[in-house]
Amino acid sequence: MDKIKILQLIPAILFILFCAAILILGLRGIPGNPNKDALNTSQWKPNEPTESAPFELSPERGRFALTYSLVEDKSFQFSVPLAKFTTPDVAYVNGGYVSLFNPGVSFLAIPGYVIGREFGLSQVGAFSTAALFALLNIIFVRLIAIRLGSNPLAASIGALVFAFASPAFAYAATLYQHHISTFLILLGIYALIRWNNLWSVALIWFLIAFSVVVDNPNIFFMIPLGVFALARIIWIEKEKFKLKINFNILGFLTLLAVIPPIVLFLWFNQASTGNPFQLPGTLQSVEAIDEKGLPTQSEISKLLNLQKTYHKEKTAVGFFKTRNLLNGFYIHFISPDRGIVWFTPVILLSILGFAYLYKLNRSAANLILATIGFNIILYSLWGDPWGGWAFGSRYLIPSYALGGIGLSLALTKFRKNYLFGIIFIVLVSYSVWVNVLGAITSDTNPPQAQVLSLEEVSGKEEKFTYERNFDLLKKNKSKSFIFQRYASQYLTAQEYHQMMTALVIAVTLSLMVSLFFLKNEQK
Amino acid sequence: MNKSKGVIKINISSDALNRVGVFFERNGFAIVAAILSVISVLSFMFYFQNGLSLAYNDARSHLDIGRRVVEGLKPGFAQLGSVWLPLTHLLMVLTIWNDFMWHSGLAGTIWSMFGFVLTGLIIYKFLEKIGVKMTGRLIGVGIFASNLNVLYLQSTAMTELTLVAAMTAGAYYLMLWFKDDKVVDLVKSAFWIMLSTLVRYDGWLLLVLASMMIVFYVWKKNGYKQAEGKLILFITLAGLGIVLWFLWNLLIFGDPLYFAFGPYSARTQQTQLEAAGVLSTKGDWFFSLKVYFYALAYNSNAFLALMGLVGAVALWFSGNIRRGVRFATFVLLAPLFFNILALYLGHSVLFIQGLSGDTWFNARYGVMLMPTIAIFVGYLIHYVSKLRPVIIGLILFVLFFQFSSGDAVTIDDARVGSSQKNVAEVSGWLAQNAAGKDGFVLISAASHDAIIFSSGMPMKKFIHEGTGDYWKEATTLPDHWARWIVMRTHDDNDSVWSFVSRTPGFERYDLVDSYPFADIYQLRDEYLDILNTEPILENQD
Repeated sequence: MDKIKILQLIPAILFILFCAAILILGLRGIPGNPNKDALNTSQWKPNEPTESAPFELSPERGRFALTYSLVEDKSFQFSVPLAKFTTPDVAYVNGGYVSLFNPGVSFLAIPGYVIGREFGLSQVGAFSTAALFALLNIIFVRLIAIRLGSNPLAASIGALVFAFASPAFAYAATLYQHHISTFLILLGIYALIRWNNLWSVALIWFLIAFSVVVDNPNIFFMIPLGVFALARIIWIEKEKFKLKINFNILGFLTLLAVIPPIVLFLWFNQASTGNPFQLPGTLQSVEAIDEKGLPTQSEISKLLNLQKTYHKEKTAVGFFKTRNLLNGFYIHFISPDRGIVWFTPVILLSILGFAYLYKLNRSAANLILATIGFNIILYSLWGDPWGGWAFGSRYLIPSYALGGIGLSLALTKFRKNYLFGIIFIVLVSYSVWVNVLGAITSDTNPPQAQVLSLEEVSGKEEKFTYERNFDLLKKNKSKSFIFQRYASQYLTAQEYHQMMTALVIAVTLSLMVSLFFLKNEQK
Repeated sequence: MNKSKGVIKINISSDALNRVGVFFERNGFAIVAAILSVISVLSFMFYFQNGLSLAYNDARSHLDIGRRVVEGLKPGFAQLGSVWLPLTHLLMVLTIWNDFMWHSGLAGTIWSMFGFVLTGLIIYKFLEKIGVKMTGRLIGVGIFASNLNVLYLQSTAMTELTLVAAMTAGAYYLMLWFKDDKVVDLVKSAFWIMLSTLVRYDGWLLLVLASMMIVFYVWKKNGYKQAEGKLILFITLAGLGIVLWFLWNLLIFGDPLYFAFGPYSARTQQTQLEAAGVLSTKGDWFFSLKVYFYALAYNSNAFLALMGLVGAVALWFSGNIRRGVRFATFVLLAPLFFNILALYLGHSVLFIQGLSGDTWFNARYGVMLMPTIAIFVGYLIHYVSKLRPVIIGLILFVLFFQFSSGDAVTIDDARVGSSQKNVAEVSGWLAQNAAGKDGFVLISAASHDAIIFSSGMPMKKFIHEGTGDYWKEATTLPDHWARWIVMRTHDDNDSVWSFVSRTPGFERYDLVDSYPFADIYQLRDEYLDILNTEPILENQD
């Protein structure tokens, strides 16, 4: 590689290192290699959201528990202490406890867990899996944006916006599935636009199949990728006097690439439940576990005298109803507890970029918009668009990544437009402030719909917007590993938040200024 | 076909493609009609077999009204009654004399099915006439025909699909008139709107809106005289149904506004609801809008409603369509304006679970805009050719989940909302204990039409408000006329209770059974000697 190319790579490398640094600053955790009994103590599993324990909610507990069980106990089934740690996202099958989550995240977290354990940081190591995939997503957002016609500086800004000005940041700091799911989509899109060969098609099928191993709903928003991949095998050419329908026979062989992930998933299901076709999420969850280690009702259920007289069978698609769409759209876009307009309004500017993309590359535009559409609609059909207790609309993280691409193109197109620039700066500053706040504090914001019940139980005002996070910050609470381990000796949590926010905004502004003064647009 | 490097190519000549294209253009209408008919029949069979086609209380009432015209103690057209407009019942009369057609609900359902097919075809033609190509037309029809709420309602003896067909046909011909300025289209539009005014009161607002649009457009284009002339031409036919309805109420009930203010009118019902504090939309524009918007979103699904809105805006600002035609499409919004206005004025009640209480009632009103949404989405598909694959993909995605979840709010409305009454216990008792025996059943049809229907007994077994002298006699001397009395005890809203409970003869009855919706009283055996069991009061005036 000649010197010029190396020199051209340096800004990109510096950019990636900067992003990695910010991700590390946000990563949550405390030192230690907890065993299964320690995991149930308040040091690791908080009784109150204000506590510093890293395992706030059951999705991260469930995934970590499976990782722990696989590495430490060499078992797909949970021991009783581990099952207690994971309730209610655990099921009781054939005399043993199994995870309700698909295993992909847990499998991928194994290296991070093992490496972290060597340094006395097994939990931090496992959590860093999400951060690693977030970094990969940043790289791919940038790469895809450039390939579609974005200026590299604009592409970097778009990637920054996705990573740190959207709720993606809060979920890069803990062990959820979102960044892994997003990575699969971005890798698939990159493969489609970068290469036009059967290997890329095979990769797409592999990614689609593997997406189910990570999380069941992924299969739905991988559909556009599948359709475009299929178009590489069967395609139509219009000529002057005829229409040609082409079938690439070898292309059908690429479908074999789905076999390894499917086998992996079936093997996991067989090992966990004894039934290879039993989807984990369709099992009946366990509310609580008694002293004998058997499933029982939770204290709340007992208090409310809830009877389990009717077990509604869970099906793979039964969670999705069209009448949920109205509420889903409201929750994802406008609601004060999750809405895009409150948590990442800057991403809405990507619409301008997509309009521009239609002129540059209609096929890519269709693919990206279809994926965003499938993502938004799927999780608007979902009965719980809030994502339980969460920070922002976490289910739309894949769309934020794709929005970052659109934003890159908008910045490329309108880089000399003062009005656009001013609006962008205002929105990105606000969005970064909000999402750095979420990343370093907590994801435990309740849905607005639950607040009244919560207040009855707690006897105090319960906030449901990012004000809740700000209250934590004012109490000097941050779950960031770096803050708790090192920075708290020198900075308050608020100062830590201000520092991170300032860093990200400063870099973003620097890139914007550079973009503004750039003489020639790079193709 | 040829092979090269592992790629099989199938060549289709342009001529062949053109021939296929021409074939579909020429026969598209017939093909769509055939497909819609098949869908209609299959849907009816599905819902009939699982018992849902008669779940709506109102469906049973409609069927009973039609039946009473041809069979009962006092058959005749006077049985068409007031409040509910008569056209659907008149249409039922053609076949409801047959017991199977009555009890299966087919006498009414066939008109809903016809309305479904007709509406689908009008959507197709509407889009064709505004220049939408085949893809957009088929998507538009497909959106309407694949809606579970539409498919369910077209399988019932409710009035929605008949109304929707008449209104959409009226809107279609009105659009054609705006487009081509042919008087015959104006007349056809007037005809269909007149029919709609005889199905439901929604048609009345359509008439007003269409009239205003005609006057406004012609006045602006050709001056006052022309506008006046066109309005008179239009309204003479379009308004005929309303005139006849006023006349009917005057002749039969002595009051031209009996349908609006009479004891069984919607206003009376709404007054009671308001007194109970559940008419929350009255006087509140925002809440009326919100409630109807929810009904609309639940019936059509919010994504399609949103696409419809985008399509409407695209159409209204399109430079490719004549201004008059674009203006004409506003008439498609008539159901929206009507329902919000009716909710605001308190003339309509609509419960959305979670928004206005814990149950459903009349949620099906939101389905009225389905043809409108279908047309606008069809146009959108045509207009945004670049985004077409994405939008079609997303529509198919949503429809997949609609069918996989079976999510239809109209079915909830029928099964668990206030629109349903589980009268099986009462009607079952009657079928078992009264069917084979002599004697009449005294019952309020206004309150318990569903029981009459579900009992399976002939209409002439029942003495009710519409039986003239039988009713007068039985409510004064029940022990001389009614072997059984079905009524809600201690509820003065039940007209049988309000009369009979105050008669001395009521003491001769035993309460034989008590159910959530009504109680059954039976005349003690020792008084059967004085009981009239034959229809001796025939030839009433």
